[in-house]
Amino acid sequence: MREKELTGQESLQLITQMISRAKNDYLETGLSALMWGGIITFCALVSFLNSYLKWDPLHFIWLLTFFAVIPQIVIARRERKERKHRGHDDRLMSGIWLSFAAAMFLMSYIEISNQWPAPIAVYLTIYGIPTFTTGYGKRFRPMVIGGIACWALAVLSTFTPYPWSMLYLAAAAQLAWFIPGLILRKRYLKERNKNV
Amino acid sequence: MFKDLDPILHSQLRLALVSLLISVKEAEFTYLKEKTNATAGNLSVQINKLKEAGYIDVAKQFKDNYPQTICKITPQGVLAFEQYVKDLHSYLDIKK
Repeated sequence: MREKELTGQESLQLITQMISRAKNDYLETGLSALMWGGIITFCALVSFLNSYLKWDPLHFIWLLTFFAVIPQIVIARRERKERKHRGHDDRLMSGIWLSFAAAMFLMSYIEISNQWPAPIAVYLTIYGIPTFTTGYGKRFRPMVIGGIACWALAVLSTFTPYPWSMLYLAAAAQLAWFIPGLILRKRYLKERNKNV
Repeated sequence: MFKDLDPILHSQLRLALVSLLISVKEAEFTYLKEKTNATAGNLSVQINKLKEAGYIDVAKQFKDNYPQTICKITPQGVLAFEQYVKDLHSYLDIKK
């Protein structure tokens, strides 16, 4: 960018262009979304298959989600270190995802302690909240679609018996996280290679 | 022609920098360079001018043994930017 005399219109254009560049700059590594999309899909599919296999150890497959918190912390730390800017809404987004993690943990605890059947519709509804919020707030359409898909699947799951409803959980994980994660990853790698 | 507009902000690169910094909480020098496509030398000069005017804060630190410059708009910078946009609108006679 070179210095030149600006006209009033050019000044306004420049302001709009720069603000839009910063606002549309949702650049994440995509690793968290890929990891969670992959893990939830895997666990849901294993649960579905296990309703036919009836192999006891596979009942604990969802424990994988607790262990996945460790790589998640590592990814989050690394991403924070790599980031070249901080947005005004970064803390808000972190808060939303932390609330989501707390809600999922509590739901699992309540479900296990009361020996309730897995409330798939409730899980899908909760999945949609941070996904839609992130997509809407960051203007990232794949996550907006993913969030809405979670809610649509939540409605469908009320008409679908277990274990078939588990397939909705797998589909939601793909639509809400895995596919947006792939898009984010591709975008991130493209941007990184451009700056090398 | 533009005598009423803030001369600090009425410059292409400085206006671009302030517009970027108003949209984020804080940004590294490399981010600003990337977004404005400016040269490192020119960017440093304009950042210093904005800093001297009190419109931005500049923090220098080390990250993984590499020097890092972080810029952040000040409340004074926000007010100056808002006034600049207001003046620009009245100059162009744009009704809000």
